[in-house]
Amino acid sequence: MPPEKSDILQGTLDLMVLQTLDAMGPQHGYGIARRIEQISEQALQLNQGTIYASLLRLVQQRRISASWGTSDNNRKAKFYSITRAGRKQLQTETENWQRISGAVARILRTAGRA
Amino acid sequence: MFSPLTTLFILASRLRAWLTPRQQDHDFAQELKTHLDFLVEENLRHGMPRESAERAARITLGGQTQLEETHRELRGLPVLETLIQDTRYALRALRKNLAFTALAILTLALGIGANTAIFSVVYAILLKPLPYPNAQQLFNIFQVQRQEGVAATGFSFANFAELRQQSKSFSEMAGSQRHELTLTGHGDPTVVKTSVVTPELFELMGQTPVIGRIFTPQDGQPGAVPVTVLSENLWRAMFAANPKIIGTSINLDKRPFTVVGIVTAKFRFPQINQSEQLWIALVNDPLFGSWMPNRGGHWLQITGRLKPGVSLPQAQAELDAIAVRLGREFPRENSGWTIGLLPLRQLFVFNVGSTLWILLGAVALVLLISCANIANLLLARATSRSREIAVRTTLGATRSRIVRQLLTETAVLGAFGGLSGVALAYWGVPVLRSVMPSTVPQVNDIRVDTWVLLFAILLSAAATCIFGSVPALFTANANVQSSLREGGARAGESRNRRTARSVLAAAEISLALVLLLAAGLMLRSFAKLTAMSPGFVTKHIVRAEISLPQFQYTTPQRWAAFSDELLARLQAEPGLQQTAIAVPAPIADGFVNLGFEIVGHPQALAGASRTADYATISPNYFQVLGIPLLAGRAFDPHDAMIAPRVAIISQSMAHVYFPNENPLGHQLKFGLPPDSGAPREIVGIVGDVRDVAIGQDPGPMMYVPYAQSPVWGAVVLVKSENSTAAVSAAIRREVASIDKDLPVTDIAQMPDVIDTSMAQSRFGALLLTLFAAVALILAATGIFGVISYSVACRTNEIGIRVALGASRAAILRMISRETLLVTGAGLAAGIPSALAASRLLGHMIVGVSANDPLTLIAVALTLAAVAALASYLPTRRATQVDPIIALRHE
Repeated sequence: MPPEKSDILQGTLDLMVLQTLDAMGPQHGYGIARRIEQISEQALQLNQGTIYASLLRLVQQRRISASWGTSDNNRKAKFYSITRAGRKQLQTETENWQRISGAVARILRTAGRA
Repeated sequence: MFSPLTTLFILASRLRAWLTPRQQDHDFAQELKTHLDFLVEENLRHGMPRESAERAARITLGGQTQLEETHRELRGLPVLETLIQDTRYALRALRKNLAFTALAILTLALGIGANTAIFSVVYAILLKPLPYPNAQQLFNIFQVQRQEGVAATGFSFANFAELRQQSKSFSEMAGSQRHELTLTGHGDPTVVKTSVVTPELFELMGQTPVIGRIFTPQDGQPGAVPVTVLSENLWRAMFAANPKIIGTSINLDKRPFTVVGIVTAKFRFPQINQSEQLWIALVNDPLFGSWMPNRGGHWLQITGRLKPGVSLPQAQAELDAIAVRLGREFPRENSGWTIGLLPLRQLFVFNVGSTLWILLGAVALVLLISCANIANLLLARATSRSREIAVRTTLGATRSRIVRQLLTETAVLGAFGGLSGVALAYWGVPVLRSVMPSTVPQVNDIRVDTWVLLFAILLSAAATCIFGSVPALFTANANVQSSLREGGARAGESRNRRTARSVLAAAEISLALVLLLAAGLMLRSFAKLTAMSPGFVTKHIVRAEISLPQFQYTTPQRWAAFSDELLARLQAEPGLQQTAIAVPAPIADGFVNLGFEIVGHPQALAGASRTADYATISPNYFQVLGIPLLAGRAFDPHDAMIAPRVAIISQSMAHVYFPNENPLGHQLKFGLPPDSGAPREIVGIVGDVRDVAIGQDPGPMMYVPYAQSPVWGAVVLVKSENSTAAVSAAIRREVASIDKDLPVTDIAQMPDVIDTSMAQSRFGALLLTLFAAVALILAATGIFGVISYSVACRTNEIGIRVALGASRAAILRMISRETLLVTGAGLAAGIPSALAASRLLGHMIVGVSANDPLTLIAVALTLAAVAALASYLPTRRATQVDPIIALRHE
């Protein structure tokens, strides 16, 4: 078995992949990895290869779909795009996150004050 | 976690990916390459030199092997893949060790095959539903006279009519009997098996006709046109399945019967083994029809269908009440008689059941021994693989993975063994069928069908679990360190494992002892049986039966006339020494048991049993069969029909009923209609004969002259040195010369008849001996294996001992001690078990007690001797160990 990643990180990575695809449209693995690195301002420095686990999972769950195509510099690459189910998942999860982070923020504010 | 739909999607993806592994690998490799190229490009753009760009790219991407492996694990069906991998590995391992594999599979195949074969017999005879609709509702109803020792017998028709009218627990009841009538007018006269029944029978058994109709109540009325229903097989065999036969008439015993219907070939009742038979109404039967008005007599077999919702105790209570009523209303015939009921199956099975269950138990023991043997083999092999397992553990295999793989190996072994066993059964069952005694019901139904197959599969699975658990338990505790050390392969066999193997070998010996004792007892019993003198001469005696159609030979005088004529003609035949008539012939024809009274003695108290076996004979009967005349005289031609009635009794009858006086001159009252109660003077005493069966002690017997009590047929006993064919031809010739339409049936040499009567005993003894032999071989193999391996393990130790000065005798003693221990333990545990088990044989052994010490000692010694023999080779090898080689051998 692969070394256990924390489930939160796993779920987060899946979420970030969905977010990326939702914002950018169809992308290949390299593109997604680069984008995630940029957005997280290099805070998440993973081996880029780890997103392929997420991509495989998401394809299995039908949240994203994959097809072969050509990149801008004429390379044969596999492009991923978000599906409707994926978009719905993204929306639900985002709401969850906001709710949680809101609660956490409030707690912290309260704690801070006291 | 996921919605059910998503789970389905995931499963589908995994399945698809699993089916195309190469494609998946290729695609992913491609993807990674493209990704790598992008990274390299990026690095180059940042100004890195080519080499560092590529290196940096690879680091950023991550380890390719790891990524591919993760991908592989996430995308397919890991469980299935592991299973397939394990199976392939198992097959390879088994193939490498061909000797072990072959031995294990053969052992298991023997065990499974034998069990399946015996179970197929048990299933067909004891378990399979009877071939009648709702057969579980059908019961056999019979009359019982405990005090006279009558456990179950039939009704008279008059009593049956009362029973049917008074009983409310049964939805329908019918009576049946069997007869053999001669069919004439269609080629040679043939004897057909006839079932004589009351008209309700077909409805009772839920049968509808294939063509035509079945009986109606009108067919059972006296004076009705005689009708018959044929079985499909008879219709095909004798009438070429011609549908126009309906409405035509055939002659049975010279009387015309109209064929009104055909029933399906599957229906066989009451003669379950007869595929070609026909049915006629009771009222039209030449013999039984005339018995119908009499209330006395017990000849009609009653079958009833219990109403749904009526419990057995309720039905029994009602029958008890009816029995009391009958006893009150008709005391002469029914006083003291009760009524019982048993499921219909009992009628067909009666004493075969216990034999079969014992055989099944025995063969199960054989399977247990097989399992012990295979477990032993597996343990031995596990030891030699401990290094391989240690290496795998070091490479990262978890304990559960290793155990799983070993279990897969065991499962593969079990599967092959089971399949081979089933194949063996397919071959063995027809062989078994052919040696089964002919008295066994439904012999033709014995085959390996669905249920038997299911049994075989379950048994294989169970056996595999049993022998598989043993090595799995021990392998789990493998000590990696010691296994990897040099020489670990041998010395690594832990104490526990050696003990386990010895225990298994000892257990095999115990089980083998149980089987050997049982077989030994059966063999001795059978030997006693064959040695028993029946009380009469059997050599060179041919028995043949001639039935006289009652519609032509209407009076007893005509029967007697026929027999006299036949005897005279047979006497005149050259080559035939002497001929006698006897009905029934001893052992060959069953027995007739009648109640009697002794004139002048006090009336039999209710409770005293006054019955004796009966036979009607020609005057020279005792002479022909060599039965000694002990007192008085034999019958002679003066004892004719018009002469005073006489009788001759057997010695045991004289002892029991006339202990202090001379029976000669006394009178007995007994007989069959028409002169049942006639007083007969005892004129002679003869030696006892075993008239019922070889294994049964002779009882009181009374004889009457055939001339005074003729019957509707004759059983001739011809003494001749000629071949059976010649004698049979002579008999047929003479019979035909008197009446060309009389068939002669059941011609057999008396020795063969007696042989057949012992068929069941022989069958049981044969099979048990076979099982015991297999058990013996397996146990010997077990001992051989254990001692061999022990010696191999202790080679070092032996080498050291010899180097230090131990003599060959000392080594011999050392190894022998182990053999002795194992054998001794096995015998010690086995003897009480064997004695307990042999008690189950019960009535099957005759003439020997179940605890016979002689047999026990004999088989124990045999087993010990075989064990010693089995351990001879390895023990000798131990004494020949060269210390130098042994010490070098690591």
